[in-house]
Amino acid sequence: MIQILDASLPIISFVLFSLLTIPVVKAIRKRKSKKTVLTLGWFSIVFSIAAVPVANLTIKYYEQPSPQPFLNITLASEPFTIFSSTFMIDAISIYMAIAFTTVGAVTFLYSIFYINLSEKPSERYYSVMLMTIGCIIGVAFSGDLLTLFIFWEAAAAGSSFLMLYHKTPKSLHATLKYLVMIIIASAFIVYGLSIVYGITGTLNFWAVRQALTVLEDKHLLVTAFIFIAAGYAIEAAVVPFHMWLPDAYTAAPASSSAFLSALIDQGSYYVLLRVLIYILTPPTVLDWVIMLAVFSALTMTVGNLLALAQNNVKRLIANVCIADVGYNLVAITSVTPLGIMGNLYFFLVGGMTTAVSFMAVGILNRMGFETLDDFSGIGRKMPFTSLALLLGAFSFAGVPPLAGFIAKYLVFTSAIEANLGWLAVIGVLTSIIQAAYLLRLINYMYAKTPQEETKIKEPKKLLVPIFILVAVIILLGVYPTIVLNLIEPVIQQLPFIP
Amino acid sequence: MQNILLLTLLLPTLGVPFVYLTGKKSAKAAAILVALIAIADITLLSTTVPIVLDAATEHKYVESYYWIPILGSSFTLFVDGISLSMAIITLILILTAALFSVNYMQEKKSLAEYYALLTLLSIGLVGVFITSNLMLFYFCWELMLVPTYFIIGGWGYKDPYRAAFKFFIFTHAGAVFVLLGIGAIFMVTGNLDMLDNQVLTALKAQPDLAKWILLSLTAGFAVKMAVVPVHMWLPDAHSEAPAPMSALLSGVIIGAGAYAIFRVSLGTVFPAVMATDFGNQFLHGLAVFGVISAFFGSLIALVENDIKRVIAYSSIAHMGYVLFGLSLFPFQEAMAGTALHLVNHAVSKGLFFLSAGAVMKQLGIRDIREMGGLAGQMRVTATSSITAALSIAGVPPFACFISEFLIFVGAFQAINSDGFYVLPTVLMLVATVLSLAYALRYIRHIFLGPTKLKKAEEVPFFMKLAMIILVVFVIVLGIWPTFFLNLITTVSFG
Repeated sequence: MIQILDASLPIISFVLFSLLTIPVVKAIRKRKSKKTVLTLGWFSIVFSIAAVPVANLTIKYYEQPSPQPFLNITLASEPFTIFSSTFMIDAISIYMAIAFTTVGAVTFLYSIFYINLSEKPSERYYSVMLMTIGCIIGVAFSGDLLTLFIFWEAAAAGSSFLMLYHKTPKSLHATLKYLVMIIIASAFIVYGLSIVYGITGTLNFWAVRQALTVLEDKHLLVTAFIFIAAGYAIEAAVVPFHMWLPDAYTAAPASSSAFLSALIDQGSYYVLLRVLIYILTPPTVLDWVIMLAVFSALTMTVGNLLALAQNNVKRLIANVCIADVGYNLVAITSVTPLGIMGNLYFFLVGGMTTAVSFMAVGILNRMGFETLDDFSGIGRKMPFTSLALLLGAFSFAGVPPLAGFIAKYLVFTSAIEANLGWLAVIGVLTSIIQAAYLLRLINYMYAKTPQEETKIKEPKKLLVPIFILVAVIILLGVYPTIVLNLIEPVIQQLPFIP
Repeated sequence: MQNILLLTLLLPTLGVPFVYLTGKKSAKAAAILVALIAIADITLLSTTVPIVLDAATEHKYVESYYWIPILGSSFTLFVDGISLSMAIITLILILTAALFSVNYMQEKKSLAEYYALLTLLSIGLVGVFITSNLMLFYFCWELMLVPTYFIIGGWGYKDPYRAAFKFFIFTHAGAVFVLLGIGAIFMVTGNLDMLDNQVLTALKAQPDLAKWILLSLTAGFAVKMAVVPVHMWLPDAHSEAPAPMSALLSGVIIGAGAYAIFRVSLGTVFPAVMATDFGNQFLHGLAVFGVISAFFGSLIALVENDIKRVIAYSSIAHMGYVLFGLSLFPFQEAMAGTALHLVNHAVSKGLFFLSAGAVMKQLGIRDIREMGGLAGQMRVTATSSITAALSIAGVPPFACFISEFLIFVGAFQAINSDGFYVLPTVLMLVATVLSLAYALRYIRHIFLGPTKLKKAEEVPFFMKLAMIILVVFVIVLGIWPTFFLNLITTVSFG
């Protein structure tokens, strides 16, 4: 049986280590030699210890004969249950926790090398990053809307620090934009939540769901839905609320962009999925399919067109993130098992692919290459970094045998299954645009001749995490069954299957 | 042996790093390694010939491995008569392309990458023909794309990356529609095996959707086949690519498009709408596009002056024949003729491009008006060019004659039951005359007449060898088509 401790230990361990990191890193910095080795040692301890509770939870969850779909763990007993924070563990949250921990570990490895250890507040950077991982796992585990809200906002606060880290005027501006958007979003969400509480008398996912399915007067619910959906749409950067994302991801240090796109972005899609399909308003309660389909078409189109017009490579990748939101929305909109499978696969693969691209672009930015013109002939000057970026681009474009292909296949098929053939066609057409601009990037990298032919020494340390992710992307493309098997239990316990 | 086909794919896959490392030391050794891998693959595949010819096994040889059960996909490899013929001919072209490259690519840089990409390409090309699972099929289908893009871009002429870009975007756009069709098939049937009758039964239950699936798939395949409204990528890609790559592009890659229409559109989906109004219109549509492509390609080939563009347009014309042949589904002679034409066209066109590459390499010019009288100076090249051109024109005793003849036999049978085919058949016969015209024009300009250039020398050994191998094939397949015809006729249609 899963106890409260099992569920909260992954979060607690990350937060605890986040606090411990500050004195430890400070102490390491004072030493004269073996700084890198010691830092690496410390963080490998952190991640291996933090992985234990996640593994423990997974084992405990699946060792039950028939895994219970909605396992509620309340902190307080009657009569305060309705106010109390709740954890809910189901197959999705376990899958997300595993994904967050593993991808988080790899992006973290990159950060250790990318954010220089001798920089002054670097210990805070690491510490905030660990805290953010903890919070995002908390998001995956939360069992009521309030807990979800708290963890999600904490993660957002953490991400704003990660964006701000270098304190350039640009990043200050971008972070300010992000914060304003987030604050508006949270205001919307809180307002919507209060209405939900007013209607149902509870915030617990399961209770809200049951109350809403028997609800007769839906006027208030529509208002609440609009506010909550708009709030989470802002945080997920659904067009027309996408303006903050390219600024923020371009201004942030590459390690932050990689981390944010791999964890926070995917987390925000997860929240949309959870709120829309699982609890608040499954289509049986409120018919939002067409509305969301329109937004998803809009997001795919605008995201890809923006990227097409982009000259700065990092901004281009940031716009691909927006397009990815659109593809994820297609799957959410379809409300089919296949779509959810596609979503969950996309969370992992899309996150890794954007992370790889941001990491590779980060290395190149460091050398002073920013625009497409600067990227001319990079393929010959820095073969390994370019290879990683190339594979990332092909994975975005959905070229097999890279993992992005299976994700797109699932997404489009789910749209056809939900009788949204037009959405699938739009998705396919926009993905041709996507292939076009990604190929233009590749063209610059390999076809154009560089201004100077000199080979540049590539930072080997930074390439290690990149190629770990590249290997996983190829592996998951060739043999996706590894992850699909993890997702399968999710499909079996979907609530909307009669 | 139980894993013949798996080994056929594994061999080049594992070979890629070896080819690359060998290529770092000696490009020639890498080329020979690629050729050896192709020969080993041909040997492996030919062990399945008796199984395919054997009626007891239903003329099929199937291997199946665990892959993605959740998506209704297993790693199913299979050969029947047609796919076996296509796979073997593909490997023969890869073999000759590798040998030809030894001399042809000599002066180029980074040849290790070139040969590694060529090996990678061979996985996709062979894989397309020997799988029956649509997911795996799509995998291989797209796996052809990336190496081709880099080979054209990296070692092509003029502005090669522009041609490569065009090629990639066009065929990728086609491919995503194929993906859409495959997704819809999975959704309807829950199974992606094209040989499974369950797929057909499920599609028959939803004829409306089957229509869309058929159109989406066929449109996607037609892009790769370069049928006229979507042919724009072909002239650039074929003429800017290095000659061995042009040979593969024109010989097998567009042939793969035709094979895919044959196998997936007509073989798997079409029976669901057969004998309906839509089904007939669909076939008539194929015939119309076939005629348009044949005329368009032949007419432009007749006035084009760039040595490789002539051949490129003739490829469009020949895909017109193939499409016309496919529109005669399910007449046995026509289908066998079409499949055989894919094989014959592959060797003839491969030879045609290689010999054109030889001419270009020795002369350094591309305009056929500036050439002339080369027959006396480059005997082997001239012989192979003339063999290829005459075969493409459909002159006996060269390979393409017999298959074109079979297609027309099928066409006359079709006229018996469907009056629509009268006009297309007549037009196709006229197009044959046109193809003879451009072939003769090509020969006359380059090899006959007064000598305009003094310095032409015969090509080096490996280029000669590659061309001679293909000349032998073109002639043998013309005189004795029995081997492939026996294989192909084991497949029953409709």
